[in-house]
Amino acid sequence: MQEQSGKLLQQTLQHIGLTFISLLIAVVIGLPLGIYITRNKKAAGLVLGLAGVLQTIPSIALLGFMIPLLGIGPIPAITALFLYALLPIIRNTFTGIEGVDPVVKEAAIAMGMTGAQRLFRVELILAFPVIMAGIRTATVINVGVGTLAAYIAAGGLGEFIFGGIALNNTNMILAGAIPAALLAIVLDLLLSRVQKMSARKRRTAVGVMPVILLLFSSFYLLPLAYGTRLLAGFTPEFMGRKDGDIGLRSVYGLDIRTVVISDAVMYKAAYEKKLDVISGYSTDGRLKAYDLAILEDDKKIFPPYYAAPVIRKEILAKYEELAPVLNRLAGKIDDSIMTELNYKVEYLHQSPEQCAHDFLLAQGLYKTPRNGTKGLIRLGSKIFPEQYILTNMYAMLIRGYTDLQVETKTGLGGTKICFEALVNDKIDMYPEYTGTALLAILHPTQELIGRLTGNRDSVYDYVRRHFDERYGLTWLIPIGFNNAYALMMRREAARQLGIRTISDLSNYLKKNKS
Amino acid sequence: MIVVKNITKIFDGYKAVDNISFTVEKGETIVFLGMSGCGKTTLLKMINRLIGPSSGEIWIDGRKVDDQRPEDLRKKIGYVFQNNGLFPHYTIAENIGTVPRLLGWDKEKIRARTVALMEKLHLSPDKYASSYPHQLSGGQQQRVGIARALAAYPPVLLMDEPFGALDPITRAHVKKDFKELDELTTKTIILVTHDIQEAVELADRIFLLDKGKIVQDGTPDHLLFQPANEYVKSFFDDQRFQLEATRIGASDYSALQRAFDHFKNRQS
Repeated sequence: MQEQSGKLLQQTLQHIGLTFISLLIAVVIGLPLGIYITRNKKAAGLVLGLAGVLQTIPSIALLGFMIPLLGIGPIPAITALFLYALLPIIRNTFTGIEGVDPVVKEAAIAMGMTGAQRLFRVELILAFPVIMAGIRTATVINVGVGTLAAYIAAGGLGEFIFGGIALNNTNMILAGAIPAALLAIVLDLLLSRVQKMSARKRRTAVGVMPVILLLFSSFYLLPLAYGTRLLAGFTPEFMGRKDGDIGLRSVYGLDIRTVVISDAVMYKAAYEKKLDVISGYSTDGRLKAYDLAILEDDKKIFPPYYAAPVIRKEILAKYEELAPVLNRLAGKIDDSIMTELNYKVEYLHQSPEQCAHDFLLAQGLYKTPRNGTKGLIRLGSKIFPEQYILTNMYAMLIRGYTDLQVETKTGLGGTKICFEALVNDKIDMYPEYTGTALLAILHPTQELIGRLTGNRDSVYDYVRRHFDERYGLTWLIPIGFNNAYALMMRREAARQLGIRTISDLSNYLKKNKS
Repeated sequence: MIVVKNITKIFDGYKAVDNISFTVEKGETIVFLGMSGCGKTTLLKMINRLIGPSSGEIWIDGRKVDDQRPEDLRKKIGYVFQNNGLFPHYTIAENIGTVPRLLGWDKEKIRARTVALMEKLHLSPDKYASSYPHQLSGGQQQRVGIARALAAYPPVLLMDEPFGALDPITRAHVKKDFKELDELTTKTIILVTHDIQEAVELADRIFLLDKGKIVQDGTPDHLLFQPANEYVKSFFDDQRFQLEATRIGASDYSALQRAFDHFKNRQS
């Protein structure tokens, strides 16, 4: 928790910075645009319409659009926030000036004021409360939408929120959500005070506002002031895990500038050299697609995640032929083969079924289905390609080698749902990972985890024994690959820097402190 | 001197002002009189270019109004609005000092002028200089409006129904104080109203307008007693008795007074 408290300040500052940079740009562009359309009514419909359309794009989608255009990091995040802030500012500037009493406007003309004098001495001052209301709305929107910036490595309080969601850690979610909510409330309150200022004070406010906006904007830059030569992008989940960023810092002493990023864009960002080090999954197909190299976990902080079928004991007893058939896959798929298979499905868009079929055929394991009617085996899977591929392989093996029928229930969400379905006799088996079973289902003590991780066999043995005792579930022989967390770098960059292991990386960073 | 030559204003095919020409001598007070929609306000606003004419020319003191920057022109022409048109975010002093500030007068000169005008219009400077318009009554606001129009010593004063929004008692007071302003004597004033009494009371000459044309122009007595046509006659008919009484009374006040005294003496 202490490690996180420094981060809270940093993220809050970043969040304020993000909010105000985008706000500043929105004011600089939106205000003149709002003024312009009061002078050119024909353009008003078009400008307000466009800004309105921008506003209707769901925020996560808008960020999504930004990635191919602007990549990751602060620029796309600020751009997205700026686009959101634009409508309230343009619209309120327009309605504010339009709302000024026409007699007063005419009086300003009749007194001999020039266009600029009318604008700055009369119209803008009188429209001030309405314009400020727009800026207030934009600020609150930006604080809220700003949390999404954490998905694309732009920082802010979203890092805690998404980390908390990924880790199912309520305290962590609140650590991000409460400051974000408070920030919105406090800013709203402050700006409402400004909005209600008397006409005399408004002139001062107009002078002071840009200074405050700039000051707050600069907060964003503070965390960037100290940094290392390489930049790491970690998922929110990885940031909060003992076997993630925290472990890297404590065990390896890894001191690297880190941004938080969604795993959906992380690999591509590494490939495009926006990030140097990422936290990925060791069998992810994108590893191959983007030519990334895994750094060896030489101090064994990432627990092994060996995949093996988990199956209900009664089913094994009932159909004795089943276990040998399922074990035919054991030891057949190593990390690189699994990566290759995932690559075919994720990146080349092959169907999991086709992929499973091709693989079994190549291994000489495929047999045409016997179409037997002996009994029904229900296979489950979690909701990602690797699991779909494995489930398809098991289905083909069962149909080809036994007289049993197969029903597949793929896409059962995450670990929790699959496991509950299995325990409650809704499915008969699904592929599970030893590390996941250990950490997400058995919840052993920290001390025990420390002892077990680092050795694939001890984790497997522990998991197998406890699943058998507690739940009446059997772990069959591991398939062979280890889909664990891994640090990755561009293969080329790793080779140039001579980095092969995480220790190498840590040493490199220490030697090249900037 | 203001010279208006063949001025026409067409709004969406409708002739609001239809080929009007006239001349106003320096120091004259002219009233544009007419019913709503007769074109009197449009005509007024073309003089300081708040509205541009469709055709025709306007000259003020030998200069065509179109030949100068509109801002410069307007700073030399005072303008009073019906609903005061004061700047709600300016204090009373700042409102009155608007044009002098635009003209770049120094602060002390502006302050002195503001105080003098407030006193002439019976607004206590100590009490109201730092007030905002909304803190004043309607009559006081209108006095500020008049002061603002006069602040920079404009030779020409345009007034658009300046007393129209006031209740009768307030109107009488404001009008009285307005008429007593010493600096009006040298000014060319054009005032728009639909109030016949007001027109008769204030005008050197009345221009009676209907459908964008001047139906008759002349002194109040001229229009009252020698109407050019049936329209002019009927326009004044409603209030003819009262008006004629006041006109005679004004010119022959002493005779009336004597008759009154004589009547009183006989009673006692």
